[in-house]
Amino acid sequence: MDNPTVIIIGGGATGLGILRDLSMRGVKTLLVEKGDLTNGASSRYHGLLHSGGRYAVKDQSAARECIEENQILRRIGKSCVEETEGMFVRLESDDPNYESQWIDGCKSSGIKIKKISVDEALKLEPILTSKIVSAYLVPDAAIDGFRLSWQLVDSAKRFGGEIKTYTRAVGIDSHNGKIIGVRVRNRSGEHEIPCDIVINAAGGWTGKIAEMAGLDVGVQPDKGTLLVFNSRLVNRVVNRLHKSGDGDIFVPHGSVTILGTSSMSVPTPEDTSTSRAEVENLMRIGSELIENLPKYRLLRAFAGSRPLYRPKGGAIGREASRGFAIIDHSMEGLDGMFTIVGGKFTTFRLMAEKISDQVCKKLGNSNPCRTASEPIVAEVSSKSRENVQKFFPSFGLNLAANRLGKDRFEKVAKKLESEPESRQLLCECENITRAEFEVIASEETSTDLDDIRRRTRFGMGTCQGTFCTFRAACIFGKNSAIDSTREMLFERWKGIRPVLIGQSLKQAELMRSIYISSLDVNAGGELF
Amino acid sequence: MNENFAGIRKTIDHCVACTACMAACPVMRALQDYRGPKLIAPAHGRLHFSQDDFDRSLEFCSNCKSCDRACPNGVSVSNLNMQQRGKFFESHKHSQRDKILAHIESAGKKIRTIPFGHQAANWGSSVGKILGISEKIGITAKRPLPIYARKNFKTLFKSIHQQKSDRKIVFYPGCYINENDPDVGIALIRVMNANGIEVLIDENFRCCGSPLISTGFMNESRLLAENNSARIQDWKSKNIPVVAACTTCSLVLKSELAEIFGDDRFANNNVFDAFEFLETIDLNLNLASVPKRILYHVPCHLKSQGIGLPAREILSEIPDLKIELADAGCCGLSGNFGYKKELYDVSMKIGRELFDRILSSDADEVMSECGPCRMQIQHGTNREPMHPLEILAGAYLPN
Repeated sequence: MDNPTVIIIGGGATGLGILRDLSMRGVKTLLVEKGDLTNGASSRYHGLLHSGGRYAVKDQSAARECIEENQILRRIGKSCVEETEGMFVRLESDDPNYESQWIDGCKSSGIKIKKISVDEALKLEPILTSKIVSAYLVPDAAIDGFRLSWQLVDSAKRFGGEIKTYTRAVGIDSHNGKIIGVRVRNRSGEHEIPCDIVINAAGGWTGKIAEMAGLDVGVQPDKGTLLVFNSRLVNRVVNRLHKSGDGDIFVPHGSVTILGTSSMSVPTPEDTSTSRAEVENLMRIGSELIENLPKYRLLRAFAGSRPLYRPKGGAIGREASRGFAIIDHSMEGLDGMFTIVGGKFTTFRLMAEKISDQVCKKLGNSNPCRTASEPIVAEVSSKSRENVQKFFPSFGLNLAANRLGKDRFEKVAKKLESEPESRQLLCECENITRAEFEVIASEETSTDLDDIRRRTRFGMGTCQGTFCTFRAACIFGKNSAIDSTREMLFERWKGIRPVLIGQSLKQAELMRSIYISSLDVNAGGELF
Repeated sequence: MNENFAGIRKTIDHCVACTACMAACPVMRALQDYRGPKLIAPAHGRLHFSQDDFDRSLEFCSNCKSCDRACPNGVSVSNLNMQQRGKFFESHKHSQRDKILAHIESAGKKIRTIPFGHQAANWGSSVGKILGISEKIGITAKRPLPIYARKNFKTLFKSIHQQKSDRKIVFYPGCYINENDPDVGIALIRVMNANGIEVLIDENFRCCGSPLISTGFMNESRLLAENNSARIQDWKSKNIPVVAACTTCSLVLKSELAEIFGDDRFANNNVFDAFEFLETIDLNLNLASVPKRILYHVPCHLKSQGIGLPAREILSEIPDLKIELADAGCCGLSGNFGYKKELYDVSMKIGRELFDRILSSDADEVMSECGPCRMQIQHGTNREPMHPLEILAGAYLPN
């Protein structure tokens, strides 16, 4: 690639949204990311495409942004969005005044809500407590962060955008107060990539990147912990109708359910640790909505940090704004440097549009934003699905089509057709064929099993990698099978450790014993 | 009563995906297309949200329950899979064939209301086969349908004179013994009488529901469960145990219904397999010599009860009788499974090991508690197996 005009630092939803936006406007753009895509908050969240209902009382401008973007993403990101709808339920113990404020807030924010009877609510979601006193349907949905990110890349690539993963920005260079390039380090060493404009979209790491340019941007990482259950406990997003707090949202996410979230200021976004205490706290609060919750199997806990923007003296935690901020650092004497911080996954496209507008204005590019009207990737048509259905495992076709997008889907289907042995299930829990694994594994950006896991979902179901890790490690071939196995299992183990109770403990011990006795890999690591 | 039976039900959340069920599954060994027990409900049940789809594996489970016995975590995989089958038929139509195979109890009842109905039915099923009608609706013509007895057990029972006794049991004959093999019921009465026990029957008992469960007629099966469990509880309140000689009936009434419907009212601890019951009494050991060698095929559904091999224990009291275990897996018929046209070959392939074992054995008799197992053995080997109660009754006969 010739030198890019713009370098984006940070491969989360925001950065990728900007990459797509600028590329569509014809701006030569490169995105660098220190790890795999979406290793920060863009995947470490509950997967909720907000209707805005959650912000309807506290922050109506955020609520309005949410509902507008919600409608847009349903159109442009069909294969990433599961249109589950959502439900807000108030329990006996919740403040009734909040309900009326919420109704008004939704109305003035343009969020369509529909009151339903308690009986109807329980019929729709029989697992919920009968202590519900009122219930509303809202246009919430579920959205897959991993999938969306990779589809944004596919889209940007069509317009000339590029990404480099596992490429860490280590310095931002300027000359006479003007950006001249970014120094990066990757496996092949350190080098400088010249550019005119740098966009700091590093989420929780925004402050660190700003420091490299001698700037000060206040970002407070706010850790949220979430729990994953083994099956779909609910078929729609269920929110507690009260002042937002911990553990009050359940999101059905593919084959699993995610319960979130907590809120805790942490010194560094690298802190994605979770503890038993956090798990127990979430379970306790979650059990108010689903009384039988402790009977259901937990798969894992995970955490991510919201990059909350904190201008000097601003609020932190839940009181901090969920809005976003764009800073043009030319005011501070560094021309060509932009920072975008704050915001939410749901509004990533809008954030990208706003900053791209500013960047384009600076570049004298007058092309309008097109990200809201064009689908991110071409959908797999129902006709081409039908044609290849017989090669896919049952209950596996639509999931694969949505994960893969049109081009890769066709590639996988062809492989399944011509190589019958590739129809074997590599991951039985999530129904992933060997063909799909191999197609993703062969891509340049797939450097280890975790990269492939995030894109295929292998190893993310009931057995958490017990029975697919060794298969995947043997097929992968890029690294030694033992090393691949060790890396994958340690990552799996990190999320399993805080939920070692009941069935997940049994599963973990089975996993540990299989890998210790067969490959001398201790999946429990030093932790036991 | 085994602790696995009552009250402790395991869901898909208890599956640790270990694959033991797949290694133990006789259908998988015979049929490559079958994805295996673990993949029906425990794994892919989680993915049904994604599309309206159908996997033929849902049809391939024979409900033999080998998976349940293999599961190290006590999950009743077969029952989870039967639930899944039931769920499928909540929104899909049953075939005519499945309707027929599921409703053998009501077919039997109808036949008995017509004079010489049994002859007409037996004649009809052979004519049906010759004319290709059964094949057309999907019932194999390669094996005979069960033959209706001239008089069913309940009719014969009325003409049997028993000594009154304070010690009583209620005999639950089940459909097969009642309609097709009443001799087993007669043998049970002889055995019980020889032990000073009077046998009652309860006309209000209905089919245990096994054929309905395995074909996905859940609502009907639940109605039967309500009826039968109420009857069993009623007898329990009178301190009279309910005894069955069909190991599928006893398994269903003991635990399967409770697991399938998640309802503890259907977990009955007042139901006994005939030999399990005989183990609890002070057995009359005045037994004549039976100088025979017997090859014993243990039915899957007896193994699943977790009560050992009570028939072998009791029969070993008979002087000069030698029992050898066939130890050759599942017979492959599994109720109505092997009657399905498309599954006939699979059924016979599963049974092959057992057939070979029997054909190469020089035992004097083959025995098994299970009616379908006996039919399959007869079909696969041309030998006519006995029910262990018939052998025990024979040892009591000279008295």
